Amino acid sequence: MKKLWDKLTPLSLFEKIFIVMVISVISVAGMTSWITVQVSQQLFLNTFSLTNSKIVQQIKRNFETFNYSVVTVSNEVMQSASIRNFLSQTGSSSVTNATAFYKMTEQMRRILSGLDVNEVGTIVLGRDERNYFSERGYWLSSVDKLKDHNITALTLNEPSSLNYHFLEDEVGTNGEPLIVASRALMNRSTKEIYGSLFMMIRERDFKQFYSNFTSTGNDVLIMDRSGLIVSSNREEKIGQYSNELLSQAQEIQDKRLKYSTIQNESENVIIVSDYLPTYDFYIVNMVDKKLVDNMLPVTRIILVATAIISAALLILFLITRRLTRSLRMLVRQMSSVTKRNLHNYIEINGSYETRQLGTAFNYMLDELNSYIRQLVDTQREQRNAELAALQRQINPHFLYNTLASVNFLVQRKDNQKATETIHALISLLQNSISNVEETLTVEQEVVNLKHYVFINQVRYGPGITVDYFISPDCLDAKVPKLILQPFMENAFFHGFKGRNNGYIYVMISREVDTLRCEIVDNGVGMDLNTERDALPDSTSNSHLFTGIGIRNVHARILLIYGKDYGVSIQSRPGEGTKIMIRLPFQADET
Amino acid sequence: MKKMLLTLAAAVMTLTACGGNNANEQNAANNAGNTGNAAAATKDVTVWAWDPNFNIAAMKLAQESYKAINPDVNVNIVEYAQADIIQKLNTGLNSGTTSGLPNVVLIEDYRAQSFLKAYPDAFYKMDDLIKSSDFADYKIASTSLDGVQYGVPFDSGVTGLYVRTDYLQEAGYSVADITNVDWDKFIEIGKAVKAKTGKYMLTQDPNDLGLIRMMIQSAGAWYLKADGTTPDLKDNAALKDAFATYKTLMESDTVKITADWSQFLAAFNSGDVATVPTGNWITPSVKAEASQSGKWAVVPMPKLKNTASSVNASNLGGSSWYVLNVDGKETAAEFLAKTLGSDVELYQKLVTDIGVIGTLKAAATGEAYNATDEFFGGQKTVSDFAAWTQQIPQVNYGMHTYAIEDILVAEMQNYMGGTDLNKVLENAQAQAESQLQ
Repeated sequence: MKKLWDKLTPLSLFEKIFIVMVISVISVAGMTSWITVQVSQQLFLNTFSLTNSKIVQQIKRNFETFNYSVVTVSNEVMQSASIRNFLSQTGSSSVTNATAFYKMTEQMRRILSGLDVNEVGTIVLGRDERNYFSERGYWLSSVDKLKDHNITALTLNEPSSLNYHFLEDEVGTNGEPLIVASRALMNRSTKEIYGSLFMMIRERDFKQFYSNFTSTGNDVLIMDRSGLIVSSNREEKIGQYSNELLSQAQEIQDKRLKYSTIQNESENVIIVSDYLPTYDFYIVNMVDKKLVDNMLPVTRIILVATAIISAALLILFLITRRLTRSLRMLVRQMSSVTKRNLHNYIEINGSYETRQLGTAFNYMLDELNSYIRQLVDTQREQRNAELAALQRQINPHFLYNTLASVNFLVQRKDNQKATETIHALISLLQNSISNVEETLTVEQEVVNLKHYVFINQVRYGPGITVDYFISPDCLDAKVPKLILQPFMENAFFHGFKGRNNGYIYVMISREVDTLRCEIVDNGVGMDLNTERDALPDSTSNSHLFTGIGIRNVHARILLIYGKDYGVSIQSRPGEGTKIMIRLPFQADET
Repeated sequence: MKKMLLTLAAAVMTLTACGGNNANEQNAANNAGNTGNAAAATKDVTVWAWDPNFNIAAMKLAQESYKAINPDVNVNIVEYAQADIIQKLNTGLNSGTTSGLPNVVLIEDYRAQSFLKAYPDAFYKMDDLIKSSDFADYKIASTSLDGVQYGVPFDSGVTGLYVRTDYLQEAGYSVADITNVDWDKFIEIGKAVKAKTGKYMLTQDPNDLGLIRMMIQSAGAWYLKADGTTPDLKDNAALKDAFATYKTLMESDTVKITADWSQFLAAFNSGDVATVPTGNWITPSVKAEASQSGKWAVVPMPKLKNTASSVNASNLGGSSWYVLNVDGKETAAEFLAKTLGSDVELYQKLVTDIGVIGTLKAAATGEAYNATDEFFGGQKTVSDFAAWTQQIPQVNYGMHTYAIEDILVAEMQNYMGGTDLNKVLENAQAQAESQLQ
């Protein structure tokens, strides 16, 4: 079981549900069909045994009614003096004989008129030649043959009772089976047997007592104590012996069973039986089980069950798939969220649960996004604060050096240059101290840059020439304050180590929506591959104007404008350095 | 949702399983056997008759000969017991529906009048197709009603006295001694035979008064008056003579009593009796015992001594063909008229093949009628019977023949028991008048 479950585990929810449902539906349908068939069969057997017992009772009554009239006739025959005289007397005159014959015939006609079954041939045999036939069609052979027949011997052996026999004779009955009720005629007082009475009924007429109740597969057999089938609607069975049926009939009788069954290669039948004590016959009613099976529409049940299962499975398949589809979509959408970004919100549809789940997920995304935005804002503020702090740390050495240069200029009486220098310093300080977040136009930034360069040229001499190439359409573009100064500073103090002259170009141009600022020098350059960082760290340098290094500039641009913008450096040792700053082009709207 | 589906499916299945049996309809096709020709073309002719060795065999010959005349007609012969035919006819004609009835039916002459009178429109008139004068006169009374010929007269019931020549010889008589005698002479010879040979002269069944019927018809009398309905017992001189003769015969102690037909046949086949006074139709049964060939002769029936009108010829039994007024009656009538109604050749065949002696006068001139029979010592029996047929006095059997006979059987016992003859017949007359009509 565990193994099976493990096997199932990798399957999707849909497959699991569907497999479980298929198994359930099939087993429920199968069980229901099986139980239905079983119950119906049991029900049929019960009904059958009940109705057929009643039928057998009815047949039994028919036989008993017939027997009663036979008994009545035989009693009347025995009690009739004229019949006794007819049978006993011999060798009288014609007139006496004529009277005896007449009375005998008259008497027999009267007695037989009481018999309510017409198809009975009555024969009375006396001793010698005297005999009476109500009808000649039953015993076709001679009287002597009948007297010598086994049936007469059997009758005379049991003189006190009426017995029933099966009679079939090649000549005597022309091969036709007869049922014969026979009785010895005995003088009650003298115990002398003076004749015998035979009442013969053809098997096909005897059959009338039960043939109404028979049909194909529903057979009736009448069987004597030896297992000889004396009458049946199945004509081929007449005159046959069946010990199997006899033992079943006796068992039913002895154990008072409702019914019994016989099952072998040739037949599979249900048997109801009763005993006819007056005849010493068994009535056996056999019903072919195939008939029962035919009456139960087993194949129909199976067909209908199959149809219903198929329909149910189809519906099940569609519904399950529909139900799990929104879940699958959800799963797919969620996995794409993790891959890309947090702004992939999920479409809300499908069942209640899926909708709730989607809503919860979207709510979570909302929360996450707002949290992240907060975090970004906090970081930006922190960076700004850091920048502001750095900006305000105006290097005292710079001030000292600048002021020392001014002092030197004053002492040389170069008052104009001194004034210019002081003026540039003032302008620089003003810009640095004010809010770092402010933006300036490119024009103003370039003025600041020029002031810074002027101060440096005053201090270190005019060996390094700076040229500005500013595209006129860029003059009004906005840039963050002090964005170019760290690079100029870097070029002055690192680009021309050990050299007193060189060129620095500042080029600002517009490229569609991008503002390109390039600061190119022809200084010593540097080996970018060997250094760990692309941008040299200049915080510790004593020449710095403020604490802002070029690394800070890059971080600041990324922070403000995103990853599409930033600083890139091209440099090789001995070939100078080219710094490129890319910013979004933002013109002053006013 | 899924649970509900399952429950539904289970419920539907259970319902289907329970309702399944209703469809098993038992289609009891009840096709009643219709022996009639309702649906068949009018070219079919159905015939009902009894006795396959006699009437049926004769009809088959007629069927064969008609094939040459009209091959389109299909004659279908159905065998029933006489009692069944009477019952089926009565049932069918009473119900008024003709379906299931045949086109042609055989009716015993004794019963013919009761059918013709009871169902006047049920039978087809044969006047235009056959001539009454072509047939033995005695047959006409029973086969016609109010001067209209309905039946086609068939076999002759002409009687004869079959005698064992050897027994007679033993008793000292010749065949000539018993030829054209009266019953008294017959009894006298009987006594001699009994005394000399120990054999009975004849058999009698006390329940069958055939002998009485033969006696009275030989005198032109019957149980009924000429109208065919009024019982004529009390003052019937011929009947009185017959009763007296019967009693004398019984008291002569020369009669072997039998109870049925089988015993009757056994008696003469086993050589127990010297004579058999009965209809000519017994000839095949007599000849059945081949060992007795040459020992038999047939002579004319004895007549009543005290009745002047009595002749040495009479009739016992015999029947005729009738066409029923149902679809195809014309075809059936045509068939009968062309065969049994006129075909002399057919009658020759009937005699030689079956032993049927017909009542068609013209047939007697044929060759077969003049043949000799070695069984009867070279006697021209058929020719003799045919000649006697012409002498049979004509009587109207009317209705009720058998009903009256039942009364007479009982009264005969009283008579033999010693009751006065006039008293006996008065009683019988009274019973008959009260029972009939």
